[in-house]
Amino acid sequence: MTRPKFPILHVWMDELSELVKDEGILIFVILLPLAYPLLYAMIYNTETQRELPMCVVDESMSQRSREFVRRVDATQEVRIAAHATDMSQAQELMRRRDVSAILRIPAEFDSDIWNGRQTVVGLYSDLTSMLYYKVAYLGVINVAQETNRNIKVRERMTPASTAREDDVARWPIRFEEVKLYNPQGGFAAFLIPPVLMLILQQALCLGVGMSMGRARERFRGLVIPPTRHYKNTLAIVLGKGLVHFLIFMLMALYMSVCVTRWFSLPQLAHFATLVGFFVPYLLACTYMAIFWSSFIYRREDCILLFVFMSIPLLFLSGVSWPGASIPPLWKAVGAAFPSTWGANAYVRISGMGATLGDVHSELLALWVLAGVYFLLSCLTYMHEIRKSVGRSVLS
Amino acid sequence: MLRALTNIWHITRRELRGFGKRPILLVIMVVAPLGFLWMFTSLMQAGLPTKLPAALVDEDNTHVTRQLTRILATMEETDFVLRTPSFTEARQAMQRGEVYAIFRIPKGTTEAALTQRQPVISFYTNDTYYVAASLLMKDMRKLSEMAGLAITRATMRARGATDDQIMGTLQPIVVEAHPLGNPHLNYSVVLSNLIVPGLLMLVIMLTTSYALGMEWKRGRQLKLYTMAGRKTLVAVVGKLLPQTVLYTIIFWLIDLVFYSYLQFPCHCGVSRMMLWGFMAVLASQGFGLLLYEAFPGQMRMAMSACSLLGVMQFSLAGFSFPVSAMDEPFQWLSNIFPLHHYFLIYVNQALNGYDVSYIWSSVVALVAFFVAPLVFMFRLKDAFLNKEYEP
Repeated sequence: MTRPKFPILHVWMDELSELVKDEGILIFVILLPLAYPLLYAMIYNTETQRELPMCVVDESMSQRSREFVRRVDATQEVRIAAHATDMSQAQELMRRRDVSAILRIPAEFDSDIWNGRQTVVGLYSDLTSMLYYKVAYLGVINVAQETNRNIKVRERMTPASTAREDDVARWPIRFEEVKLYNPQGGFAAFLIPPVLMLILQQALCLGVGMSMGRARERFRGLVIPPTRHYKNTLAIVLGKGLVHFLIFMLMALYMSVCVTRWFSLPQLAHFATLVGFFVPYLLACTYMAIFWSSFIYRREDCILLFVFMSIPLLFLSGVSWPGASIPPLWKAVGAAFPSTWGANAYVRISGMGATLGDVHSELLALWVLAGVYFLLSCLTYMHEIRKSVGRSVLS
Repeated sequence: MLRALTNIWHITRRELRGFGKRPILLVIMVVAPLGFLWMFTSLMQAGLPTKLPAALVDEDNTHVTRQLTRILATMEETDFVLRTPSFTEARQAMQRGEVYAIFRIPKGTTEAALTQRQPVISFYTNDTYYVAASLLMKDMRKLSEMAGLAITRATMRARGATDDQIMGTLQPIVVEAHPLGNPHLNYSVVLSNLIVPGLLMLVIMLTTSYALGMEWKRGRQLKLYTMAGRKTLVAVVGKLLPQTVLYTIIFWLIDLVFYSYLQFPCHCGVSRMMLWGFMAVLASQGFGLLLYEAFPGQMRMAMSACSLLGVMQFSLAGFSFPVSAMDEPFQWLSNIFPLHHYFLIYVNQALNGYDVSYIWSSVVALVAFFVAPLVFMFRLKDAFLNKEYEP
């Protein structure tokens, strides 16, 4: 028998044809990366909580308090959904989840202000979601600060003669807040980019794991068929890796170009930059998946092992939980996964317009991971080939 | 009846022997949930992140701005790791991910403020890091407000006003915020409390279909069925009972760590939370069983469905992004996940200490997840008799 000219090509063709025939693998390799980004983008599409239902307990019942409540109602953050006569009634509404926050205006509200004293408005917020608290607080504090400035100018200061002087008294120093790279301050633009990277890694692990598990079931515990094409370690590792790498390159571009555009998420990266980032990221993910999958002996086992990864890894990436507050041990654990580096690099490339040079340390880490996992995969397959040779001699 | 109980016991013993032969199952069932417990509680032990890195660009550099930056340095959430007169340098640091925010005092701020020309100071937050940016924004906003007030205060003091009068002028209305149930806004309370049980519930769903599917995969489903005296319910109960016990113990362990050891707020008492934990275990097993009944004998499809839905429930449970902010179809969809209902019960009971009657619908839902598979038991029976494993 003659040696095949391009063993890589054989392995590549085999893997690809196995893959398209197996609907179990197709679910993870095609359906998951196509559908999940859409689903997540749709869930977070509304970006933030608007018009949070709030109950008012107005014990002051003065013109000033009514004006204050009207202004709170007019904010986009909060909507006055109910008026209660006392706190116990308002708390009952909160318990029934009709409202998520209570604004209590004290009886002395008006008289305090007339007498030049400070008055305290109470804001009680349900913590079902942290966002409720943030939104309710923002809505009320903005109105309170605006009202404070008006009181200061109109009632407390000596009558100012010009509009300009009023304005200066209101704002001795102006300040501006700039939300960089996520102008709406929304959830989608913050969460979707790292989630996309995790979906890629997760789908790769599941897809590769399932095909390895199936190979082991079919070839009685071996990950490679006992044929002559499967004797060259490098050819097997490259050929198998290439199939998944190419499919997921398409998926990665679909996510970062199509999904991002359809849902108007920030995308400041050039196409070449994206590709330059995805090459090391997907290589690292592919070979990590190949290496880990060698521990899988049944095709279903990969679901058990890999499904849980994505949620802890989202936290370890330092995008959702600030990286600066992650203890060193968990930083080290996170560093072993491509998603940690990938999420950080992708967030900066897509959201902040960073170039490949700006994220060079992450890219370097990804190349190192890709190299390490590639070597580990080669070692695994060398071992497997030796096993398969022994097996064929025995049989 | 006695016969059925003996059969259950036999199947349970057979199942326990099976655990020993499959180390992967034990790892997933015991080591993973406890590992997640350790990970999340140690990851967020600080509660609210503090001392987040920020950059300070003081282009003015006068005694007034230096005083301002000294105040800023005392703020809890901010740590100025970079002080520079160059905005470009700060922006590059932000793009490298070294700082989450930039506070900028432009040249001439002091002079403009003293001559009443309204200078503008600005702060930039990197909102791709949402939590960090929100926390820093709060600090910086407070400071900017204070900077303006400090100037008015100096003028009023010079005119002989008392401190009370000054505060009554500067800040007539004070907003006092009371975040109910979690007064220190401890993130660990919110996140660990739901992600750790949530991951356990995902483990339960998956291992339920896995354990059942394994029978078909090894072609032993008929043997199990005969062991159960040809009763589907007996087979299922015997098969899942060891898991129910194991998972309940793990759930209770989690509860004890959270509410007794770490002292997370728990107004309803630990034992009550343990009851809800037990119900969540049953509901998750019911969910896994229901999906297995949807794809009887097809373990892989059932597990794929479990994992696709199970990962989604973390988003749809509504603890990071509230369900009320989502579009209508997702609000509806969130109801089909046990984690969402466990979450609502947790908030009502442990966080707020309200009466359980306010959350009866979610309690009913948890029970329904457990009861629903009983209705479709006939599909399992059919699978026992007629279905083979499909790869």
